[in-house]
Amino acid sequence: MAVTMDPLFLAWSYFRRRKFQQCSDVCSKILQDSPYDQAAWSLKTRALTETVYIDEVDVDQEGIAEIMLDESAIAQVARPGTSLRIPGTSQGGGPSPAVRPVTQSGRPITGFVRPSTQSGRPGTMEQAIRTPRTAHTARPVSSSSGRFVRLGTASMLTNPDGPFINLSRLNLAKYAQKPNLSKTLFEYIFHHENDIKNVSTQFISKTHALDLAAMATEHAQFKDWWWKVQLGKCYYRLGLYREAEKQFRSALNHQEVVDTYLYLAKVYQRLDQPITALTLFKQGLDHFPGEVTLLTGIARIHEEMNNVTSATEYYKDVLKQDNTHVEAIACIGSNHFYGDQPEIALRFYRSRLLQMGVYNCQLYNNLGLCCFYAQQYDMTLSSFERALSLAASDEETADVWYNLGHVAVGIGDLTLAYQCFKLTLANNNDHAEAYNNLAVLELRRGRIEQAKAFLQTACSIAPHMYEPHFNMATLSEKVGDLQSSYMAAQKSEDAFPEHVDTQQILKNLRQHFAVL
Amino acid sequence: YRAAIETEKRICGLVATDSCTRWLDAHYDPVANLYTFSSCIGNGDSLVVGDLGTGACNIKLKVYKGTSLVSENTLLDLPTGLVSFHMDQHEPRTPAIAVASGPFIYVYKNLRPYFKFTLPPLEVNPLEQEVWTQAKEVRRERYGPHLHTSCSRRFSFPLGRFLMLDPQEMETYVNLHKQQPLRRQTVITCISTLKKNMAEEDAVSCLVIGAESKDIYVLDPEAFTVLSKMSLPSVPTLIDVTGQFDVEFRITVACRNGNIYILRRDSPKPKYCIELTSHPVGLVRIGKNVVVGCAQETLLSYTQKGKKLWTVYLPAPVMTMGLMDHHTRGFQAVLVGLSNCQVQLYRDKNLLNIVKTPDVVTSICFGRFGREDGSLIMTTKGGGLIVKILKRTAVFDDRDTAPGPPLAQSIRLNVPKKTKLYVDQTMRERENAVAMHRAFQMDLSRLRLASARAYVKALESSLTPMSASLSEPLKMNAVVQGLGPSFKLTLNVQNTAACRPVMNLAVSFLYDEALYSMRPSFFKIPLLVPGLNYPIDAFVECLVDKGISDIIKVFVLQQGKSAPLLTAHINMPVSEGLPLN
Repeated sequence: MAVTMDPLFLAWSYFRRRKFQQCSDVCSKILQDSPYDQAAWSLKTRALTETVYIDEVDVDQEGIAEIMLDESAIAQVARPGTSLRIPGTSQGGGPSPAVRPVTQSGRPITGFVRPSTQSGRPGTMEQAIRTPRTAHTARPVSSSSGRFVRLGTASMLTNPDGPFINLSRLNLAKYAQKPNLSKTLFEYIFHHENDIKNVSTQFISKTHALDLAAMATEHAQFKDWWWKVQLGKCYYRLGLYREAEKQFRSALNHQEVVDTYLYLAKVYQRLDQPITALTLFKQGLDHFPGEVTLLTGIARIHEEMNNVTSATEYYKDVLKQDNTHVEAIACIGSNHFYGDQPEIALRFYRSRLLQMGVYNCQLYNNLGLCCFYAQQYDMTLSSFERALSLAASDEETADVWYNLGHVAVGIGDLTLAYQCFKLTLANNNDHAEAYNNLAVLELRRGRIEQAKAFLQTACSIAPHMYEPHFNMATLSEKVGDLQSSYMAAQKSEDAFPEHVDTQQILKNLRQHFAVL
Repeated sequence: YRAAIETEKRICGLVATDSCTRWLDAHYDPVANLYTFSSCIGNGDSLVVGDLGTGACNIKLKVYKGTSLVSENTLLDLPTGLVSFHMDQHEPRTPAIAVASGPFIYVYKNLRPYFKFTLPPLEVNPLEQEVWTQAKEVRRERYGPHLHTSCSRRFSFPLGRFLMLDPQEMETYVNLHKQQPLRRQTVITCISTLKKNMAEEDAVSCLVIGAESKDIYVLDPEAFTVLSKMSLPSVPTLIDVTGQFDVEFRITVACRNGNIYILRRDSPKPKYCIELTSHPVGLVRIGKNVVVGCAQETLLSYTQKGKKLWTVYLPAPVMTMGLMDHHTRGFQAVLVGLSNCQVQLYRDKNLLNIVKTPDVVTSICFGRFGREDGSLIMTTKGGGLIVKILKRTAVFDDRDTAPGPPLAQSIRLNVPKKTKLYVDQTMRERENAVAMHRAFQMDLSRLRLASARAYVKALESSLTPMSASLSEPLKMNAVVQGLGPSFKLTLNVQNTAACRPVMNLAVSFLYDEALYSMRPSFFKIPLLVPGLNYPIDAFVECLVDKGISDIIKVFVLQQGKSAPLLTAHINMPVSEGLPLN
């Protein structure tokens, strides 16, 4: 007869091997036999928490509710360089939209897709609730709680017989006295107890978490930094940013922790105080010199404020500390690419990312583009081919075809380009850039009606791009529809005020209107 | 003591050379609610403004004394011009105000209505007269075509209205207006004054009126009779008068056809004509020269005989113009209000000074205001009132302030240097040119094949959002709106053919019925007119609350064809809301 392992030890082993489902199953068995086994209870709580755990610091997305119904917005027109909401166009030598494409909010696109970089802050409700599907400009989720609800439901699906802990019957005060149990319980409530059925329970669970944290802090005589950070997290989730700031600040007084700095910086970013967040990061760097997460945080803020040069400097600092930081490599690479140095971008993508084992569609796509523009023609098309075979979604396939279309335009094969752009649209119906380029090709063929229809579509899908508006203005001017041309040129000017050709068209039109 | 004064003067002199400090800000009221143009503003002891209000109401004659509004008189119609003039020799010499509005001139004295003058009616075409008498008797006949061919100008009241009516309404209309004789009335477009026989400041002046009937009238100030009538080839819009009626005068008129005409005494027709290249916006006479601001962002100067002197290109379109005539100093210059919130001061073609204003200036008036001789009164587009006073120490030097070479010349472009890596790669390219070219060509052929295959596949299954068939060139794109569980799906369908409509189309959807429900999941599309965008709405209901989403396929079908014309795949967003139970 084989000697069976002690079940608790087995569960613990499962937990350490990150087999959380088995761990929780074993714990459940133990708890059936002895319901008051605190060790098993605590372990099960942790296992369940781990299944749905997400890194609070990184994953954060502003929802429509937070953006549109922001009550703390004081200055609608903030001074340039002090707000994340108005991307300063010229400060810090940001690239012009003619060189580097921009997102909906007028920010140059970055090299690394992460929440909140791409969504931008839409100006109108209409823009906010629309689902733009142009190259990962994902719509902001309706509210951040909605997102956490969704993450939470995954756990509900696996637990068909109801929740493990019935929160409403829990005596929080009792648990708050026991530091060994209270921390795991708190994490469980905070991360796991999300109920999609009832939005108010979502709120209640946070309130429970808050209560527990408050009591535990009191028990620890307001000296435990961990509980203070947790209190801050609760306040942050509930949208009480000023209270959260207080808790994080107080926690920092007790103990300097990198995480606390990151949370506090997040609070400041949410309050639209990027300068304060930057100072905070720098304070953090004094205590933890060379800390990668802090450096990345600084770089991201610079990037969001359109200060690409400083952002690149900080990403380089990140690389000095951590040679394998994917985000930094990708951002520096894309910056070099748009800075007319595709050969350096190529080196970043190939000899850093590829050799690190990043193996996906986007990377090969970028490699292909870099090769083409750095005149390494023998590797261009094979990279794109591989990107096509690696593409996981229609959007990715569409982007690869779009870039192939660019290559085709570059070698002068317009038929191929036409096919590529059409294939882009077949894969992604809302690819505004492809519509725009197709319109130009149609115009070259002399099919004005088609070109006009495509341009109109491009304008309506992506009003933030200046190209379709400008093309529309040119086309209308050529056919003699000066009024439409003027209107389109004005829209183009709104999207890209420094565009010289638009200014030229406007000047010509104004002259035309003034002349008798 | 004397020395102290001397130094003080010198300091003032130094300060005055700085362009910002030549004007004192006397008064600024951004919410004065004054909407007017330069032609409807007059100054003196007090400021008189013909306020255009909001276009339909609040049309008022406002009088300011100092910074406060002392009187308001309601006007019946929009004022087109306002002048102050001396109408008689009585003492004390108080000027009267003439406000032109419609066909009338309202004369105010001591802020009270004094007299109303109506322009003499124009003679009625005998043909019109005949038609009207006939209409009164016969009524039901149609006279329109007959009259339109023989009489190309405007019709008289009430005949013109009559001709626009439907036959069944004609009878009541004729009965209503039967008693009225036919009359043709014109309206005033601009107004100015002309000294009668003396050049003094407070001499009696005649009114000079430009009318929509392309005529210029000179009115006697006391009897209000027409002293002289002159006709123009076009409708006058801006007018400037100099000289004395009994001696010699010149009337400079800018007209709606873009020409400027110069009229003189004893000639009923214009003497000189200046043809502009764009519409005149402002007209100011300095001495013997005329300065015109044009819609083309230019300022032009002509002599009295129509000879062009100079052109200045302005940074922004002209909004209004005014004369700055400082009698005590003998200083004359042109004030030009621009749409970039600047008022520029020109003497000849030299820019002397720029006054920056908080809003776009729509009317300018320089002269005496209260006790101050050098006041600059401006009203803005947003209804504000600005009063500035020229400093007594201010000096305008004739320095040509036109800038030299543009600043951009000296800015270095930030062109990135070619890196060593680039050079190395170029070397590689040079050495292995043949191999690289072959590899590229082979890849290219494969790519062409692959893309052609994918393209054919897309065409066969009509995957593209624009149809490939030449007979029904259609295009569609879809937008999803909403947070869930209800979404609105807007399909923008457009017929991109040049001139042929498309008919017999239908739309159907393919979706997972466990996830979504659509209220009309199949419907017909109306006839599509080429070039127009047809937004078609469909409502989608998300049935699950598990936070998952799916693709909805949209097909545009044509009657009698099994394959769809177009297909669109719509990635539905995740439903954020909760279904109501």
